[in-house]
Amino acid sequence: MNEARPTIFVVDDDESVRRALGNLLESVGFEAQVFGSTEQFRRVMLPDVPSCLVLDVRFPGANGLDFQQTLEQAGIHIPIIFITAHGDVPMASRALRAGAVEFLMKPFQKNDLLTAIERALERDRVQRAQYEELSVLQSRFAELTSREREVLELVVTGLTNKEIGNRLGISEVTTKMHRGQVMRKMNASSLAELVRMSDKLQASPRR
Amino acid sequence: MNSSSTLGSIRTAHSTTDQGAGDSRVGIATNRSNLSRSFSIRYGIALLLVAVALFASLAMQHIFAFPYPFLFLFFGAVMVSAWFGGMGAGLFAVLLSTVVVDYFFVPPFYSWQISTTAETYFVAFVVCALVASWISSAKKKSEEALQEARSHLEIKVSERTAALMQTQAELTRLSRLLSMGELTASIAHEISQPLTAVVSNGDACLQWLSATPPNLEKARQSTEKIVQDGTRAGAVVSRIRALFKKEEPVKNWVEINEVIEELVEFLRHEAASRHISIGMQLCPSLPLLKADRVQLQQVLLNLVMNAMDAVTDAAAKRKEIVIRSGLQKESKLLIAIEDGGTGLNPQTVDRIFDPFFTTKPHGIGVGLSISRSIVESHEGRLWAMPNAGGGAIFQFTLPIARRDSNE
Repeated sequence: MNEARPTIFVVDDDESVRRALGNLLESVGFEAQVFGSTEQFRRVMLPDVPSCLVLDVRFPGANGLDFQQTLEQAGIHIPIIFITAHGDVPMASRALRAGAVEFLMKPFQKNDLLTAIERALERDRVQRAQYEELSVLQSRFAELTSREREVLELVVTGLTNKEIGNRLGISEVTTKMHRGQVMRKMNASSLAELVRMSDKLQASPRR
Repeated sequence: MNSSSTLGSIRTAHSTTDQGAGDSRVGIATNRSNLSRSFSIRYGIALLLVAVALFASLAMQHIFAFPYPFLFLFFGAVMVSAWFGGMGAGLFAVLLSTVVVDYFFVPPFYSWQISTTAETYFVAFVVCALVASWISSAKKKSEEALQEARSHLEIKVSERTAALMQTQAELTRLSRLLSMGELTASIAHEISQPLTAVVSNGDACLQWLSATPPNLEKARQSTEKIVQDGTRAGAVVSRIRALFKKEEPVKNWVEINEVIEELVEFLRHEAASRHISIGMQLCPSLPLLKADRVQLQQVLLNLVMNAMDAVTDAAAKRKEIVIRSGLQKESKLLIAIEDGGTGLNPQTVDRIFDPFFTTKPHGIGVGLSISRSIVESHEGRLWAMPNAGGGAIFQFTLPIARRDSNE
């Protein structure tokens, strides 16, 4: 692991539980940060390292499942492992459907928690890589002129240069020139790659 | 009687009423003995008042020279004496007045003789004085009785209030038991938290120890945490135990029918809202039991609540529960709770009294096991059998105590 040390965030309103989890995570070499409430957790800046959130479902007042939704809506895609002392099947299935990595019943085995954390960190690494790639694509896309963007949109639908030219009311030669610029600026080696890039850009969540 | 701590203190209050009436009679008697101590004062007042009436009448006789002797003041003296001193002092005043009037006002004056013409007048005076004395003392007596009743009422109200407060405390405990299902959730939560901490700190401790070199300081801290969290879990357990246990079991003389009637009254609303009828077939004049009343309530409550759940589940069948009481041989009481509900599952019937065995989706399976242990601690027996018309019968026996140990 030559990357930065992953950080595990623990949010549990029970002090002894969050301290114990902090102790355990520290003992196996993670950087652990513990919080007594979701509000406290929201106040910290998330570090640029693989991270995940171990979140208690039941809080006085707030609910861990609702907080999961809040984070999702705020565009924070940190993987979540739920822990609960009193869970039921509907609760677990709601959490997992909303994208939680794991739903653990207290008291849980160390290995179950650590396995879940590894999976969560792996998911975060993938997410980070995808995000990295996407932001590169977005910065490339930002360099295109508005005409080039129009050409790009039509190229990926499979139209020929002539058809694109007709649609946009420009000559085939001009179209070909724009198309070359798009390929160069987007750093795409083939039409297939350009299509994939375009798909990723379109699927990108609003950030 | 007041020591029986029960749901049914309302009933107890009724019986104290009778006892109270007796008390009030005793109270009046005590008053009388008090009054006899102030005998001289009462009769002294009568004497004084008659003397005052005499002088005033003589004075008026002199000043106004009425054609007839002015004797109304004597009635006043008689009435006031009777009022303060009772019938005796009233009659004493009448006697004094008669003597004085005879001597001073009935012709011939200043002699004990009575002329024939004045005879009627004199008799009328004596009769009127007697009547006045009687009216006054009777009025006083009724006034006193009223006062007595009022103070007695106050005592009764305070007794009743105390009884009701006790009833309320019992009800609070019972309704806590009723919501046992909801408790399960919080119990699970309360125990899982410290357990999670213990397990995690234990794992961490092992991890710190197996590091090279071992991090003994961290391991020590982890172990300290384990001790703390373990202690906390223990505290949770004893809190739960306290919740299910009454502080001190008190065995008193208990009338089982009374306990049953109170429980049915207590559950009346719940049963009505679930459209369940609870019938009672109670054998009258059963012998008393020596038992912990609250524990018996708990057993009955558990069984009746189970029966209510059973008839609720059996949607189409009759939603009826019958509670019977009776004698089994001469030495035992038998109490049966019959329902027309889902009945007993032959596969699980042997296990229904086991702790933590439950057929209810939200039950924790302690009701029947607690009930059986209570009945057994009273040297009785609790068992279940199928009801002939469908449903189940849960019944228990309790031995009748010989009344030689107490009372």
